[in-house]
Amino acid sequence: MLMKTTTQQSLLQLDAVCARLGKKDFGPFNLTIAKAEKVAILGPSGAGKSTLLKLLSRELKTSRGNVAFQSRALASWSLMELSRLRAVLPQNSDVAFGLETDLVISLGRVSRAHDPELSNIVRQAAGMAHAAHLLGRRFDSLSGGEQARVQLARIFAQLWDQRDGLILVDEPLAALDPGLQFDLLASLEEYATERQHAIVAILHDINHAMQAFERLLLVKNGQLVADIASNREAVPALEDLYDIALTCIHNEEGDLLVTPLRASSRARKSA
Amino acid sequence: MKASVSMAGELPQSLHAKRVQGSRPGLLLVLAISLIAALLLSVQFGAVPVKLQDWLTLFNFSDEPMTGSSYVLWNIRLPRALFAVLVGAALGMSGALTQGLFRNPLADPNLLGVTAGAAAAAGLSIVVLSGLPLPIPMSWRMWILPVTAFSGALLVCFALDRVARWISPGSIVGLLLTGIALNALAAAVLGLCTYLATDEQLRNLSFWTLGSLAGASWLAAGLLLTLLLPAWWWVRRMISAMNALALGEAAAAHVGIDVRRLRSQVIVLVAVLTGFAVAWCGMISFISLVAPHLVRTMGGPDQRQVIPRSMLMGGLLLLVADTVARCIAIPAEVPVGIFTALLGSPFFLILLRNARGRLA
Repeated sequence: MLMKTTTQQSLLQLDAVCARLGKKDFGPFNLTIAKAEKVAILGPSGAGKSTLLKLLSRELKTSRGNVAFQSRALASWSLMELSRLRAVLPQNSDVAFGLETDLVISLGRVSRAHDPELSNIVRQAAGMAHAAHLLGRRFDSLSGGEQARVQLARIFAQLWDQRDGLILVDEPLAALDPGLQFDLLASLEEYATERQHAIVAILHDINHAMQAFERLLLVKNGQLVADIASNREAVPALEDLYDIALTCIHNEEGDLLVTPLRASSRARKSA
Repeated sequence: MKASVSMAGELPQSLHAKRVQGSRPGLLLVLAISLIAALLLSVQFGAVPVKLQDWLTLFNFSDEPMTGSSYVLWNIRLPRALFAVLVGAALGMSGALTQGLFRNPLADPNLLGVTAGAAAAAGLSIVVLSGLPLPIPMSWRMWILPVTAFSGALLVCFALDRVARWISPGSIVGLLLTGIALNALAAAVLGLCTYLATDEQLRNLSFWTLGSLAGASWLAAGLLLTLLLPAWWWVRRMISAMNALALGEAAAAHVGIDVRRLRSQVIVLVAVLTGFAVAWCGMISFISLVAPHLVRTMGGPDQRQVIPRSMLMGGLLLLVADTVARCIAIPAEVPVGIFTALLGSPFFLILLRNARGRLA
């Protein structure tokens, strides 16, 4: 019972949070991320997924409402304190001057004045992100997929020796081939589980979200339209979200897979 | 999983260790040695020949007066050469900082109008302040120019930071165009000063637009050194954070860097370095652009190495340029600013050509 309450402890809490970007309003968002929880954000393009993630990461100012991290107002955390407990992987992140990959990865730990294990952690983080062979190369000489792996390694290095942290990632798998997508998803899962880090990830692939994440946040038109467990019951909500029909398949291991069909077939189905 | 990770990591580790220990401190040493060699060599050149005995007069404690050539060596050429090195180091450092701040190798205090802003402010102080019937003590006058030049540079830096963000955040094109506008504004202010100046002020003013190290002395060199040492100490503390800035401002904040504070610190430093260099030697262009670029090409883009190497490289470049400038037309002396601009402009065009893919 005691175990249960500690794992269910709130890590990040949004309380009627709103934001305004230009003329577009987002929110209000009400949600709680528990410790070690794995949450995927899904939604059509332009729905406000990245905006929600930026509200979680304090990159965007809230126009109303409160964000609390570890039961303390997020705005009152210093950047240095936050960087020890929370890593953020933005969607497209270039690196100026073509810094070397080793240096890019080690920058995840730049706020530590004394860091004796640095080169060790950089190597292990690179290995975990399938980027060990990229060490020593210039970042700007890498392909998009390779750059994504190095950036992921930087996130891994940042929270390598921490526990109960939070990882916010915006489409970490977008530039990767299917094999690497599975490998990196497995690495991300293993990394977070070992350290009890919570993950909040924006994803495009419904199957990735269903397999590696236990909870789905569905975002549409700047609103949180559903906050559900990722199981078979989520399928109708996902169909509504993308306005498509989904066919469910079970593979030999019993994993649920979905295949999108044209919206017209769905219209036929509902008719 | 764990085992395969550590095995995969073994090869890169040995490579990594070799690279860190091998080439990296090497370039700094090579630069330092070339700088000392250039310093010793450059004092040989000039109208008056310097002999080996002249070097030894330092150890001659008798009351004999110095010979002409040893006087030239100890009181003219050496302070001049040292001054050139220190001004070059200040310019190299401000260039490396500016490029790091704006995350682009084309950003340069000169192109962005910081130097011109400092010169315009200094020009205003020459024309306006000396025209006012204020009783300013002589001992203050020496400090008025650096302080006004610093304020001009600071003003331009903050304007750049604001305006470029407002036009198009993060784009080098927006930044360079803002620089053009600020340069034009500063040129207009300088032109107004020229128009209003008396004959004597006009001579002083033309000094700023040309750039010269003729004002060198032991005192000037000493003052610049006392400025550079704390500046370097300050930069050392934020040098790793400068690397994080290369990730972009949002990502730098996520790894724990207070980007706002870092930016304003770098801006003040660039303004101090540029302002003082301009106040004492006028507008010397392109050293701040070329020095960091060369060291980055030779030894990689890690700011922890780029900044100290840029200082040495800047010192070396300006020393060579100044030696050529004062020897090419003996007994006359070409202002070194003309020289660096002649060599630097084509260099900038080459840089632009190489960066053309990223400019659009």
